[in-house]
Amino acid sequence: MAVEVQQRHQRPPLWRDVTVLKWAAQLVVLAVVAAILWILGTTGAGNIDDRGLTFGWRWLTDPPGISIREGIDLLPDSGSRAMLVGIVNMLRVTVSGIIVATILGTIIGIARLSKNWIVNKTANVYIETIRNTPLLVQIFFWAALLRLFDEPLEADIGVKWLHISSKGLAIPWIRPDIGFWQWLVFVVVGLYFARVMYRRRIRHLEESGEEAYAFTYAAGTVLLFALVGWFAHPLMAFLGPVWGGIASFFGALPTWVVQAVLAVGALGIAGWWIKRFLDGLRTPAGLAKLTDDDIFRIVFASLAGVIFAALFIVQGGISNLVLDGMRNLFEFFDGKFGAAEGGLRTGLPLRWSRPFVEVTGANFFQYGSGGIVITGGFFAIWVGVTLYTASFIAEVVRAGILAVVRGQTEAASALGLRRSQSLRLVILPQAFRIILPPLGNQYLNLAKNTSLGIAVSYPEIVLVGQTLYNQTGQTLPVVLFWMVFYLSVSLILSSIVNYYNRKLQLVER
Amino acid sequence: MADLGQDDIIICEGVKKWFGDFQALTGVTTRIKEQEVVVVIGPSGSGKSTFIRCINRLEAHQEGTIVVDGIELTNDLRNIEKIRAEVGMVFQQFNLFPHLTVLDNVTLAPLWVRKTPKGESDAQAMQLLERVGIPEQAEKYPGQLSGGQQQRVAIARALAMNPKIMLFDEPTSALDPEMIKEVLDVMKELAQSGMTMIVVTHEMGFAREVADRVLFFDYGTIVEEGTPEHFFTSPEHDRTKLFLSQIL
Amino acid sequence: MTGRIVLPDTEPERPPEPPPHGPIVWAHENLFSTVASGILTVVVGTLVVLFLVGVLGFIFGADRRWDAVFFNTRLMMTQAYPEDQYFRVWLSLGIIVSLTGLSLAVWQVGGRVSLNRITRLLSSIGAGLIGLEVLGPFSIRARVIGILIGLVLIGGSYLVKRAAGERAKQETIPLMAIVGIVPALGVVALYVLRIPTRLAEDNYAEQVLAPIANSTRIPITVLFVVGVVAYSVGVLMLDRMPNATARVALVGLWVLSLPAIVLTILRDPELDYDKILAIPGFQEGYLWWAVIFAVGGSLLITYLGSPARGEGGRAIGGLLVVVALASWGVSMLVLIRLFLLFLATFALAAPTFGGGEGRARARIVGLWVMTVAAAAYFVVLVSGPSTVQVQTTFFIGGLFLSFILAIFGIVLSFPLGVLFALGRTSSMPIFRLMCVAYIEVVRGVPFITWLLTAIIVFPIFLPLGVQVSNVVAVLVMTVLFSAAYLAENVRGGLQSVSGGQIEAAKALGMTTAQTTVFIILPQALRAVIPALVGQVIGTFKDTSLVIIVGLFDFLAIARNVIPNQRVPFNNLDALTEPLMYAALVYWIFTFSFSRASQRLEKKLGVGER
Ligand SMILES: Nc1ncnc2c1ncn2[C@@H]1O[C@H](COP(=O)(O)OP(=O)(O)O)[C@@H](O)[C@H]1O
Ligand SMILES: [Mg+2]
Repeated sequence: MAVEVQQRHQRPPLWRDVTVLKWAAQLVVLAVVAAILWILGTTGAGNIDDRGLTFGWRWLTDPPGISIREGIDLLPDSGSRAMLVGIVNMLRVTVSGIIVATILGTIIGIARLSKNWIVNKTANVYIETIRNTPLLVQIFFWAALLRLFDEPLEADIGVKWLHISSKGLAIPWIRPDIGFWQWLVFVVVGLYFARVMYRRRIRHLEESGEEAYAFTYAAGTVLLFALVGWFAHPLMAFLGPVWGGIASFFGALPTWVVQAVLAVGALGIAGWWIKRFLDGLRTPAGLAKLTDDDIFRIVFASLAGVIFAALFIVQGGISNLVLDGMRNLFEFFDGKFGAAEGGLRTGLPLRWSRPFVEVTGANFFQYGSGGIVITGGFFAIWVGVTLYTASFIAEVVRAGILAVVRGQTEAASALGLRRSQSLRLVILPQAFRIILPPLGNQYLNLAKNTSLGIAVSYPEIVLVGQTLYNQTGQTLPVVLFWMVFYLSVSLILSSIVNYYNRKLQLVER
Repeated sequence: MADLGQDDIIICEGVKKWFGDFQALTGVTTRIKEQEVVVVIGPSGSGKSTFIRCINRLEAHQEGTIVVDGIELTNDLRNIEKIRAEVGMVFQQFNLFPHLTVLDNVTLAPLWVRKTPKGESDAQAMQLLERVGIPEQAEKYPGQLSGGQQQRVAIARALAMNPKIMLFDEPTSALDPEMIKEVLDVMKELAQSGMTMIVVTHEMGFAREVADRVLFFDYGTIVEEGTPEHFFTSPEHDRTKLFLSQIL
Repeated sequence: MTGRIVLPDTEPERPPEPPPHGPIVWAHENLFSTVASGILTVVVGTLVVLFLVGVLGFIFGADRRWDAVFFNTRLMMTQAYPEDQYFRVWLSLGIIVSLTGLSLAVWQVGGRVSLNRITRLLSSIGAGLIGLEVLGPFSIRARVIGILIGLVLIGGSYLVKRAAGERAKQETIPLMAIVGIVPALGVVALYVLRIPTRLAEDNYAEQVLAPIANSTRIPITVLFVVGVVAYSVGVLMLDRMPNATARVALVGLWVLSLPAIVLTILRDPELDYDKILAIPGFQEGYLWWAVIFAVGGSLLITYLGSPARGEGGRAIGGLLVVVALASWGVSMLVLIRLFLLFLATFALAAPTFGGGEGRARARIVGLWVMTVAAAAYFVVLVSGPSTVQVQTTFFIGGLFLSFILAIFGIVLSFPLGVLFALGRTSSMPIFRLMCVAYIEVVRGVPFITWLLTAIIVFPIFLPLGVQVSNVVAVLVMTVLFSAAYLAENVRGGLQSVSGGQIEAAKALGMTTAQTTVFIILPQALRAVIPALVGQVIGTFKDTSLVIIVGLFDFLAIARNVIPNQRVPFNNLDALTEPLMYAALVYWIFTFSFSRASQRLEKKLGVGER
C-alpha cells in the first residue's frame, strides 16, 4: 500500500498550527491586558469627572503656596521649583550617602575577612544587626535619638564649634566665597590635566614595570592647580563678559530655533544609537539576522526619537524653558566672574564658617546661617541609608574578594608580592570587576531608599510631591512625575554602571 | 511526488535547514526502513546532530519533506506531539532530570504523556531498568550514578514511551572508555530486538557489527552511503576516505 | 589599616599532631599574630568596649522608659482587638503553634548536636552575661548576682564536658529538645520572675515588683503545652504514616489555615444565611452554586481529561476563558465569576495534567472539588462584614497586621512572580516585552511611592461604589511589588536550567506546560532558594513601610501610638524604647529566618544533586 506524499508542505489547519497558536495566545493576552487597562481608564476618567476633578500640568508653573523645611529654596514660586528643591535634597542624601557607604562598606567587607578575631566579629555583628532590621525602624531610631537632646536655649547663643540640639547637628563647614567660581575654573582645568597625567603614569608603569604612583601624581596635579588658582583666580575675570555674551545670545535666540535644534537632536540621538547598535551586530559575513529583540529595540529607539521630536515641536514651552534656563545659568555665571562691588574680584575662594545659635522673634532660638546645620530629618535619613547600604556593600565586597582569592593569590604569592601588596594590586582590582554590578544595584537601592525621608519630614521629592498634591489636589500628575523621575534615576545609574562594566570587561580581554 | 514503500518508516526528501545565514543541512534525501539500524558518521559540524534532531522536530527544517511513520512533520501541533511520543532520543550529555530519582525519570513521560496508571508505569520502568542492567539503582538520583549508568537510564527513559524509532546522538562520546562498552551492549541488544535506530557515533566497531547501513555526512548532506563492508573496505568518495583514514 | 585576608589557598595540610590549644595559643593566633594585628586588636577592642559601655548605659539607663513597652505588649501585638474576643487570637496562635510543632516533627528539623556544642554555647552565654554585668550600668548587687550566674554557667559546662570525656564529641542530643528548653524557660519565668512595674494610674507612684504578663500567662502556658503535644504527635505520626503523605497533608493544612485564621477566626464575620442557602440566582444561593459547580466541573474535567479528546478539549477550555472574562462585565456573584475562572484554568490544564484513568483522574477531580469548597468558604466569609468592634478601619493591627501583610504578600506574589519570570524568559516576544516593562517599571520606583500611589489611585480607578480599605490596597500593592522582584530572582534560576533538560523533555513528547511544571520550575526554584529567602526577609522588612500610609502595623504602634499616650500613663518621652523593642522583634524574626535558610541550603546542597 503505497501512500503518496506531497512534495509541497501541507498547511496544518489554523487551530493546530504552532506558529499561529503562539501568536494568537500572545495577541489574546495583549488584548485582555489592554481591555483591563481600558476599562480601568474609562472608569477612572468617569470618576474624575464625577468628582469634578481636573488633572493637568498647571501646578508646575503656578505658585504652590507651600513652604519647604530645608533646601535651596524654602518658599518656591512654582510647583516645578518646589519639585526641584525636593530633587536636590534627594540627590544630596544620595550622593553623600553613596560615597560614605562605599568607603564604610569596603572597610567592613575587608574586616569581615580579617584573621583578627575581634575585627572579624565586630564586622560580622555590624552586618547581621543592620541588615536584619528594617531600614525604616533605623531611620526612626536616629530621628528619635536626636530628639532626646534639648532645644537650643538662651544659654546657647553664640558662635560654636559643634552644637547638638533637638533641632539638629551644627558643625563648621567650608563655604564658597566671593572668588569661588573663578577659582573653580582652575580646579576644573587641573582635573583635566590630572587625568592626562594619570594616563601617562599608567603607561609608564606598563612600559617600564616600575611603580608609577599614578594616583599620587594626579592628586598632586589637582592640588597644584588649586594652589595656583587660590592666588591667581582674578585672572579668570575676563570670563565674566564672555558668559554675559552667551547669556544675551540665548536671550536673543527665537524659540523656533531651539525647537528645531531639540527635535533634530532627538532624532539624531535615536539615529546614532540605532546605527551604533547595528554596527555592533555587524559581522565580517555581513549583517547578522536580527532577532525580534533587536527589532523591538530598534523600533523603540526610533519611536522614542520621533515622540520626543514631536513633543519638542508641539510643546513650545519646553524650548522656552530650556532657553530661559540657559540664559539664567549664564547670567548667574556672569555675576560670579569679573568685577565685584566696583573693584576687581580678589576675595578668597573659600571661607571657613562656624555655626551659631541666634534668637528670632520673642523667645525662639535656632541656628543661624553659619557653618552647616544637619537637620534632624537629614541626619536620620542620611545615617539610616548610609549604614544600611554599607552593610550590604560589605557583603558584596566580601563575596567579590572571596571569588577572586581562590587561585589568584597563589599567582600573587608566586610573584613574590607581600600580602598587603597582593590585596591592593591583584585582588582588589580583580574583585572590583565582580563587585561592580551588585554594587551598582546597591547604589540604586540607596537612591530609592532616600524616599523614606518622608517618614522623618525630610523634604525630598516624595514628601514635596505629597505636600503639593495635598495643597493642589493634583494627585495623578504628581504620581506620574515621581515615576518618571525615579525611572530616570534608575536608568541613568544603571547605564553608568553598565558603561563601566563594559569598559572593565574590555580591559580584561 | 514520492512513494512511501511498504516498510519505509522515515522518508527525507531534500531536507534543508538554515541557522540564520548558515546552512546546516544542504539537501538530505534518504529512506529508512522499519527495523533498520542506520549509523551516521561524519566530521564534526557536518550536520549529523541537526539531521537527527529534525526527525523528531527538535529543530524545524525549512525546505524539503520529512515523513515519519506516515506523518509529515509540519507546524501541526497534533503531529508534533504524536511524533515526539513515538521517536525516542538519547543525548550525548544524558540530560537526565537531576531532581528526580531514576525511577521517576523513567516513569515521568509515560505517566503524563501516555497517561499510563502509576502502578503499570512503575512495573514497566523496573522491567526496563532490568533490561539495561541497573534495577538496583531505581531509588537513586542521577548525580549518584556513573556516566555509563546514567546513559543506560537515559535509554530506559526513552524506551519507556514504547517508541517505534530510537535516535542516538553520540551516546558514548561523553563517557570514559571503560563505560562505553556497557552502553554499546545495551544498544546492540536493542538493535537485535528489532528496533529502528539512527545512531550518530564514532564507534566504528559498533557500526561494523550492528549497522545495516552507514551514512557519511559532510557539509550538511549525505556524501556517501552503503553497507558497513562497502564502507570499511572500498569507500568511493575522497572525503570519506580521508575521514576514515583519520578516524581508524 | 591592615585587614588580613583569610586566604583559603593556604589550606592547612593536616598537621600530624593536633595543635596545642588553650586560651593563650588561641589569643596568639587570632588576636596577636603580628604586631599590626596586635595594635588593631587593642584599638578595635577599646573602641568596642567604649561603644558597649555607651550602648548598655543607654539601654539600662535610669531614664529609659521600658515600662512604656511592657505595658503596651497587647497593643503592639494586636492593636485594639477587643478583650472579650481575645480567645480568637489565642485560638489562631494555637493553630499556628500546633501546625509548627507538627511540621518540625514531620520534616525532622534540627537533627542532633554534640554535648560539646551545647557546653560551648552555655559558656559563651555565661561569658556574655559577665561582660554585660561588667560593662552595663548596674548596681553592685545585680552585678554580683549576674557574674556569679555567669561563672556557674562557665564552670558547670566545663565540668560537664570533663565528665563526659570523649562522648561529648558525639552528636547525640536532639536539637529540638534544646530549642524547646528556651520557651520552657520563658514559661517558667512568667511565674517566677518579677519586674518593676507601675501599678497605679498615677504616673509618679512608686514602682513595685509584679509578675511579667500577669493576665496572659495561662494562655501562653497552654500554647507551650500545645506545641509540645503537637510535636510529640508529629513524631508518633512519622512511624505510622508514609512521610510524603504527612507532608502533603501538612502543607495543605498550612495553606488553608492561614486564610482561615485571618479571614474568619479573627474577623468573626457576620453571615447572611438567607443568601447562602437561597435557591440559586445571580445574586444569591452560594451553597447551591458551589454544589452545581463542583458536580458539573468534575464531569467536565473528567470528559476533557480523557486522552482521546485532543484539541477539542482545548477549544472548550478557551471558550471557558472567554466566558470567565466576560462574566466580569455582567452583574453576578463574585463567587460565580471566580468559579468560572477556576473552571477555565482547570479545563485548560485537564488535557495535560489530568490523567486518563484511576488515580490521576481522581486527583485532579479531587483538587477541583477542594478548590470549589475553599473558594466558596472564603468568599462567603469575606463577604460578611466583620463584627469585631474596633475604632480603626481594620479589625487587627500591630505585629499581627505586619505578619498578615508579609505572609499574604509573599504567598500571593509567588505565583505571580513565577509567571512574570516565565514570561520574561519566554520565546514569545509580546509576553517578554510586557513582562520586562512591568518588572523594570516596578523595580525602578521605590516601594513607598507605590504605596502612596495605591492609596491615591485605587479609589480613582475602581468603579464607583466599590470601596477598598487601605489595608487591602496596600496588600495588593505589596503583592504586585514583590512579584516583580521575585520574577527577577526566579529568572536567574530559569536561566540556570540547561537547554538539554528542555530538549530531553520535549523529545519525550511532553508539552511546554508539562516541561515547565515538571522539569524547569523544580530545578529553577531550587537553584534560587537563597535569593527567595532573601526576598521573603525583604518583604517582611518592607511591611514596616505601611506606617507611612497610615496603617497601624507593629512599627506604627511603636513609633506613633505609644509615644503619644497620656492615659493611663504618660509616655510622651518614650521615644526610643518602643523603637528599640520593635527593632529587636524584627531582628529576631529576620535573623532566625536567614539562619534557618542557611541550614536548609546546606541540607539541600548535599544528597540530591
Ligand atoms: N542552534 C544553532 N544555532 C546556530 N548554529 C547551529 C545551531 N546548531 C548547530 N549549528 C551549526 O550547524 C552546524 C552543524 O551542527 P551539528 O549538526 O551539531 O554538527 P555535528 O553534530 O555533525 O557535529 C555547525 O556548524 C553548528 O555550528
Ligand atoms: Mg553533534
